[in-house]
Amino acid sequence: MKKKIVSVLLCATMISSMLAGCGSDSAATTEGTDDAAATEESADAPAEESADASAGAGTGSVYLLNFKPESDGAWQDLAATYTDQTGVEVTVVTAADGQYKTTLQSELAKSEAPTIFNIGSTADCAEYANYIYDLKDSYIYDHLTDKSLALEYDGKVAAVANCYECYGIIYNKTILEGYCGMEGAVVSSVDDIKDFETLNAVATDINNRVDEINEALGTNLTGAFASAGLDSGSNWRFSGHLAGLALYYEFKDAGCDLIAGQGTVTGKYLDNFKNVWDMYVNTSSADKATLDSGAYNAEQELGLGEAVFYQNGDWEYSAFAVDNENGYTVTTDDLSMMPIYFGVDDANEGLAVGTENHWAVNAQASQEDIDSTLAFLEWVISSDEGRDAITNQMGLSAPFDTFTDEYASKNGFAAMANEYAAQGKTSVAWSFNATPAVDDWRADFIAPLTEYTERDGSWDDVKTAFVDQWAYYWELSNEQ
Amino acid sequence: MEKAIKRYFPLFVLPTLAAFVIGFIAPFVYGIFLSFCKFTTVVDWEWVGLQNYTRIFVVNGKVDTTFLHSLWYTALFTVVSVLIINVVAFAIGMVLTKGIKGTNLFRTAFFLPNLIGGIVLSYIWLMIFNAVLQNFSKTIVSSQWYAFWGMIIVVCWQQIGYMMIIYIAGIQNIPGDLIEAAKIDGANSWQMLRNVTLPMLMPTITICSFLTLTNGFKLFDQNLALTGGNPGKMSQLLALNIYDTMYGTTGWQGVGQAKAVIFFILVAVIAVAQNKLTTSKEVQG
Repeated sequence: MKKKIVSVLLCATMISSMLAGCGSDSAATTEGTDDAAATEESADAPAEESADASAGAGTGSVYLLNFKPESDGAWQDLAATYTDQTGVEVTVVTAADGQYKTTLQSELAKSEAPTIFNIGSTADCAEYANYIYDLKDSYIYDHLTDKSLALEYDGKVAAVANCYECYGIIYNKTILEGYCGMEGAVVSSVDDIKDFETLNAVATDINNRVDEINEALGTNLTGAFASAGLDSGSNWRFSGHLAGLALYYEFKDAGCDLIAGQGTVTGKYLDNFKNVWDMYVNTSSADKATLDSGAYNAEQELGLGEAVFYQNGDWEYSAFAVDNENGYTVTTDDLSMMPIYFGVDDANEGLAVGTENHWAVNAQASQEDIDSTLAFLEWVISSDEGRDAITNQMGLSAPFDTFTDEYASKNGFAAMANEYAAQGKTSVAWSFNATPAVDDWRADFIAPLTEYTERDGSWDDVKTAFVDQWAYYWELSNEQ
Repeated sequence: MEKAIKRYFPLFVLPTLAAFVIGFIAPFVYGIFLSFCKFTTVVDWEWVGLQNYTRIFVVNGKVDTTFLHSLWYTALFTVVSVLIINVVAFAIGMVLTKGIKGTNLFRTAFFLPNLIGGIVLSYIWLMIFNAVLQNFSKTIVSSQWYAFWGMIIVVCWQQIGYMMIIYIAGIQNIPGDLIEAAKIDGANSWQMLRNVTLPMLMPTITICSFLTLTNGFKLFDQNLALTGGNPGKMSQLLALNIYDTMYGTTGWQGVGQAKAVIFFILVAVIAVAQNKLTTSKEVQG
């Protein structure tokens, strides 16, 4: 009898604990529906345009799935400030580095899905076609200075850039100027480097005379260019950014949209790619047979003054800030950026300006949430707190006309992009944004490039991959 | 008492069963369903029938060999790792049951690598491999065979200790009188091993080969961290190939899912067959 009682008690405990679990669940759901009902009522009265943020903030909630791990802290603070001011709940979740797509896919499937998420390219728009809200009438699109920084898809303004970035060849001007003053230097001034031939000659000369330069200037150079790592942590600089120039000039010739691209490429400018690539590899101290080992750190090579040139973008600026405690001896004062002279139209080529960071608003969220989200984004780019966070804390260059005076970008490399533009040079568009099935295409391109570089593989294979895989993935991604 | 157990059986089994259904059966069935759909997120699907399955092998009229390549590559990897791990683990187990000095220290040392997570372990080994290979102007991803042996080394280093512990437990369970009887009968050490130890160890061998076999087929962390599937996609094992399809190729989530279903069937069939085979060799002690 006793045993029976014990077992009955045990069962009762188990069942009650299960019910308790379900109970709290159902409580939460009812709460949710109550909320929704309440907001529906209030949504009936159309939100009036008002200067007072709290009145226009809406009654929904905002969920931002942040793309940049380094700006997580700034976003969390900004979200808390907004909630304090308006009472609107803002959730910020940051996906781990390289895990954005994984996180986004699982988060979008939840009932509390992100209302703002990052979209990189037109190809992404196609994938998330069902989730794209038309931002045509939004404040952020209205105040976007360069409308080409918005992604259009299916007749909608699918996503709006939240920053613009530039890339080129970062160089150590202190060392380079020192070199120019030396006897027998290829050029007498940094300004004389205006095309690929000159750059190549300078890099080759520096690389050949490393010891001599070190002795004369007291530097500790090991090569001209920083290592061109072919491991996954670095190879996007070439399969994405450098290949972007080949794509840019090709699209320009073809007359198609420079960002959206077209279904076939011919690899017309791949010889230029090859020249630049050979320069990277041959004027660097890294053993070219081991470039894919992942053991190289190009940023560090530049930071420690071991290299003069380094192809990368303005996001590297903060790594060389004086207060950044990473032990680099080279700071932003020593650095500048020049275009990746590609040997096509060097006289008119500026830095490559564009972005992979676009805000998209989830069309499948409830209307209240969408309204609140748009209000939040408006606040981010118009309020002092929001602008301060974006410019000063996240260090981004915002593409909105609300970012004036003290909120203008403080990024020295971004300033270089404007300087080149002011000189009448054309900024290179980020044509690699058109890449179909971007991870696959890049992997298929890097494989023969690695063979070519490390094991004397054929350049034709690189070209074949570039051309054939483009058409192949394009067809795959665009079929319905 | 037995009656009571029978009567309350459903009640006791219910919580676990519910958890199993929610956490395993339901997602599994839903996963099979999704393999017949084109989907972006799991709630946003569209039925496409068998298209995902045909796409694994033929895309737009072209034969796609990446899945088949990773299939035989995985099979080979599994065979080699199962053999090495079991033979070495058994050998170490034999040595460490002989009562030599410092046995416990050795057992702990051999077991330790198993306590480190696959990703961390692989990054550490990546540095070691590349540091050594650098002298020969090679890297761990210089060819698929460098990658292959690299993974074999890491996996063996990680799993031998674990299997060794199971073998030691098995060896210690062999009744002493059996060994004594064999000795009195004049069996030499080879005969002892062949006719006493191995037959008595068959249940342990079943467990160990089952574990190493499924581990080999399902290997993911080490593959991701050590080679990332490079060069090209040549060192992708099945699990990484599925992951890559799911998240790498735009709009191919359904194909990834279809591959996962095939993968499941494959692992299940092989594991069951292996279990049957080795269980049939077990002797009743």
